[in-house]
Amino acid sequence: MGRLGTFLLTAWLAVPAQAAALPADTAQAWLERLQTAEQQHSYQGTFVYERNGSFSTHAIWHRVEASGQVRERLLQLDGPLQEMVRLDAQLQCISSPQVEQRASVSGLVMQQLRPAQLAAHYDLRILGQSRVAGHAAVVLALLPRDQYRYGLELHLDQQTGLALKSLLLNEQGQLLERFQFTQLDSRDALSDAALQPGADCVAVPVAPAAPAVVSPWQASWLPPGFNLTSTEQRIAQSASEPLTWLLFSDGLAQFSVFIEASPGTEIENMHRQLGPTVVVSQQRQGVSGPVMVTVVGEVPLIAAERVALSMGLVAEQATP
Amino acid sequence: MSGQALQESLSALMDNETDELELRRLLAVSGEGETRATWARYQVARAVMHKELLLPHLDLAAKVSAALADEPQVKVARRMPWTGLGRLAVAASVTVAVLAGVRLYNQDDITSTQLAQSTAQPMLSAPHLQGPAILAGYNANASAEQGVRVNAARTAELTWQQQRLPAYVRQHAQQAAAAGSQTAVPYARAASLENR
Repeated sequence: MGRLGTFLLTAWLAVPAQAAALPADTAQAWLERLQTAEQQHSYQGTFVYERNGSFSTHAIWHRVEASGQVRERLLQLDGPLQEMVRLDAQLQCISSPQVEQRASVSGLVMQQLRPAQLAAHYDLRILGQSRVAGHAAVVLALLPRDQYRYGLELHLDQQTGLALKSLLLNEQGQLLERFQFTQLDSRDALSDAALQPGADCVAVPVAPAAPAVVSPWQASWLPPGFNLTSTEQRIAQSASEPLTWLLFSDGLAQFSVFIEASPGTEIENMHRQLGPTVVVSQQRQGVSGPVMVTVVGEVPLIAAERVALSMGLVAEQATP
Repeated sequence: MSGQALQESLSALMDNETDELELRRLLAVSGEGETRATWARYQVARAVMHKELLLPHLDLAAKVSAALADEPQVKVARRMPWTGLGRLAVAASVTVAVLAGVRLYNQDDITSTQLAQSTAQPMLSAPHLQGPAILAGYNANASAEQGVRVNAARTAELTWQQQRLPAYVRQHAQQAAAAGSQTAVPYARAASLENR
């Protein structure tokens, strides 16, 4: 083969090595890029969303305003018209019949993706490279370190760091949901018209900042790394027990706990799976009669069930 | 028969793993209240585990005893040259009695499994989402609703669940969409719940 052959072989080997040496070459660095990418890049594109039993296509317009705020419009392209416009974490309008429920929610803080924190509960890895929606992408894996969360495969745009594709996988490696861009343009500026909601998008009034609520209900067990991110309480007209809603997150996965008065009859504990979302509901004794404790979230059943079982009244837990 | 050995034998009987001798030992003590109570508790525990409807009058021991009482060969068998045959006959009819009970359980198992598939986890039991068959208008919500209708007997419970759970799931998804760092995914998740 001689000298030339050796040279060619070396050159051939050097190519993939060079390609792998991207600007940020650790999984953690890529996640940091993802975190800032949404605040740095304006883009428009179309994506597909697929979960067991459902497939839909959507358009997204995402603009970083001069003020640094992010205005985003999402529109479903097939089936019933569904639309949402938000400015940072504040919902501006939504074409959903449940508007009144959302109106009372306020003071939401955008959840931050903290790679260092995630690393404690997920094994962060770079799997390789791929191509999504015509863009060169780097493939990251977030593999759960315990049985209380799902794994995620992320394909990030090598140029912008934006998430082009994400796959949620359960403990058996089965696909729970797919999010994938089919077209993405982050070069052209977005017009005001593109971000203008349609007529069916019902404006959501900006609710006054609600005083911090301390729920009488607390979880005595949470999957490691999960923290309470939001609490809301509402007094229902007919019920003696207020509706309590707690939201927990590990920085990636989220689950909600709802507690409300039970309608009196004996209701059997149940669980359901809607694609990536699990629903577990259990009847429990509250302050003034039976209550229903319901856990809803993108966590494995075992985590949701353990959380539901661990929910108790604060006073109860103070005197074990 | 010691307490622990007895419990183990009862447990084995529950699993249809007793041999004839063990079954006889069990039947000999089955008249005792405590043994009966233990047996009943095991049945309750099993029923609870399988979420079966309790059958309060199903008493396997009584059935097996009756089957043995109808076996005249038992007493003669020991003196007869065709002892083996008699034992076989006893074993066979005991097996029938045990099987009859087991079949009852199995039927319940099948029913409960079917219900679980149609109601509890309609999505997971459906074929995996990569198949093109699903993409063509397959509606998971509809199948969940059908499953719910099957269970019409438990109306009160389902009314609560039908009323509240979709609202919870929607609220959770919308909240996650507003607060999450990757907005598009939870938004699409929320939207997929509305596609009926």
